[in-house]
Amino acid sequence: MLEGLRLAGDDSSSSLRCEPGTITVLLGRNRSGKSALCRWLAGLTASVSGQVRLGATDLGPLPPAQRPVALVHQAFVNYPHWTVAENIASPLRAQGVAAAERRERVAAIASALGLEALLDRLPEQLSGGQQQRLAIGRALAKDARVLVLDEPFVNLDYKLREVLEQELQRLARERGLILLYASSDPREGFALGDQVVLLDQDRVLQHGAPTAVYARPRSFTAATLMSEQALNAVDGAGAWLRPEHLALEPQGEDSLRFVMRVAGTETNGNQTFVHGPCESATTLPDGRAEDQTLWHARLRGMPAVTVGEALTLHARPADVLRFAER
Amino acid sequence: MAAITIEALTFSYPGAAEPTLDALSLEIAAGEAHALLGGSGAGKTTLLNLLSGLLQPTGGTLRLGGRSLAGVAPGARRTAQVFQFPVLYDRLSLLDNLTMPLRARGVRRRPRNERGRAIATQLEFEALGMADLERMRPGVLSLYQKQLLAIGRALATPRLELLLLDEPLTAVQPSAKWRLRQTLKAVQAELGMTMVYVTHDQTEALTFADRVSVMRDGVILQSAPPRDLYERPAHTYVGHFIGSPGLNLIDAELVGETLVREDWRCPLPAALAQRCTPGPVQLGFRPEWAQVITGAAAERAADAALLPAAVAGATVQGRDASGDYGLLALSVPEPVRVQTALSRPLPQRALLHLTQLVLFQDDIQVGLFSGGES
Repeated sequence: MLEGLRLAGDDSSSSLRCEPGTITVLLGRNRSGKSALCRWLAGLTASVSGQVRLGATDLGPLPPAQRPVALVHQAFVNYPHWTVAENIASPLRAQGVAAAERRERVAAIASALGLEALLDRLPEQLSGGQQQRLAIGRALAKDARVLVLDEPFVNLDYKLREVLEQELQRLARERGLILLYASSDPREGFALGDQVVLLDQDRVLQHGAPTAVYARPRSFTAATLMSEQALNAVDGAGAWLRPEHLALEPQGEDSLRFVMRVAGTETNGNQTFVHGPCESATTLPDGRAEDQTLWHARLRGMPAVTVGEALTLHARPADVLRFAER
Repeated sequence: MAAITIEALTFSYPGAAEPTLDALSLEIAAGEAHALLGGSGAGKTTLLNLLSGLLQPTGGTLRLGGRSLAGVAPGARRTAQVFQFPVLYDRLSLLDNLTMPLRARGVRRRPRNERGRAIATQLEFEALGMADLERMRPGVLSLYQKQLLAIGRALATPRLELLLLDEPLTAVQPSAKWRLRQTLKAVQAELGMTMVYVTHDQTEALTFADRVSVMRDGVILQSAPPRDLYERPAHTYVGHFIGSPGLNLIDAELVGETLVREDWRCPLPAALAQRCTPGPVQLGFRPEWAQVITGAAAERAADAALLPAAVAGATVQGRDASGDYGLLALSVPEPVRVQTALSRPLPQRALLHLTQLVLFQDDIQVGLFSGGES
């Protein structure tokens, strides 16, 4: 178990624990400190101060090569003149593993990642997804207990990411890996994370199970990090509604009502986003008028919504998030 | 406005062993917004370049508005193309950029500028701070504005019948994409222009197009309106590519008239069973085509019609009368995702009642099956 992860300057009192077989998603914007944290865990930077233990071992004093931590970046870093098999074997060779055992372990890793038919190819003969799988394969060959992935799929197209995310989950569980995954996409926090850690300005804002953090964001920034689209400003005074909490049907007796002038829609089949200014003159129960800014609603399926129409949207008062500061 | 007829179109790059496009046929109606959707290497851009005349086919025919395009030079085709990245003349004003196709055809300054201003109005340049057409240069524009200018320039092509767009939103920041797409749709509707739009983004295709062709390896797997692609995919790849997440796929065996898995069975209507060949079948279901049974009900049930599943995680997507709903990630043991009301804490195990299924054999759809409510 990875334990006691605590960053200097961090005001969150509880420390993080990462269990074997689980995925921890480090969620933050660009330059929030995600990458620095990843590199620090691998022992590649001292720019983060803090401490972390793996079981009884304090990782702090261990040089990178002795850490049971493997790091995979968003750029596919493979040895270009070595075959897939040689790339996967490279950490084993460095550890002085005998050739016969090396072959066996390379075969096992390649089959776990669906690379078994490609062992003789060079990296440039692989697709983007295969190259990233190879980079993960090299990390696995290190036999590290902790695998740290820094936005590993950011350069890949969306459909490929979907497949690789599922593979990663299976890998973590089957091999009992402690997996940390840095991302700026809240969707990945939900889809991959047994827990999420929200990072902002080199600090941990909040952590916990994705659904729990989603249900009780402690700040506007925390709520935004867990939302695919911007939050809707209800009154310009710290009241916000998530796009997915707007519905076409009334939500109970005290349901809030808003009118959006539809400016555009986007659908992926399962869900439809509707965008447009909110122009209703209704007020919240406490009497404050709402703001007339651009709103986004996330609706189920493919509802018949036309551009230009005044769309009535409903929300439950209990879903209004209130934050003291933005 | 003109219809496109593509018949047995084949294209091979010189020296290539496999054709990039293989005997491809497609009809696009006059005034239709049509999207070509697929991963990289599917042949989408090749097809677009054959339509614009940048490439010449190795076989088959292409017609625009009933006229064959064979031997017609790109400039004489009444088509215009918008590329991934806007190509503009930095030293020329917005208006001169916009009217370049007219200038190239020798149209005089006055009618040229009138047409340019009309297009600028149509694309709402003014609202975007691009009002000063004669003094502003493209250098000061955002990528979004530049791409809008490139689209405007394509629209200025005289007697334009077909607008071709190659991933036009690639360079535009994600939060602005829907606006540009909306502008395009509005222009398309207003002009009744036939548009062909290449993209690898399913949201883009489903949002923009009247009909979408899903391509892979130089072949069109299905051409249909968005809803049909979603509900009645003709191929497993279409099911996978359309939807977010894509169609869940699990394996089964057809024995007699019953679908059989180790821990699950489902009788098929006789008519459907007769259309299939006994043996392996792939079952596809959308995340919202399954009912999830958990808790005591799931512990008690020993019903072979319910598919046992282990819960791996959950994604919150929205809220309805029953509370949070979202995607439950399950292992059956194939990984699948199901849209359902989410409870806290998450259950460990569940049973799935599949209410709707698409049947595939060797990746080709053989039928649809509605299992009804439980």
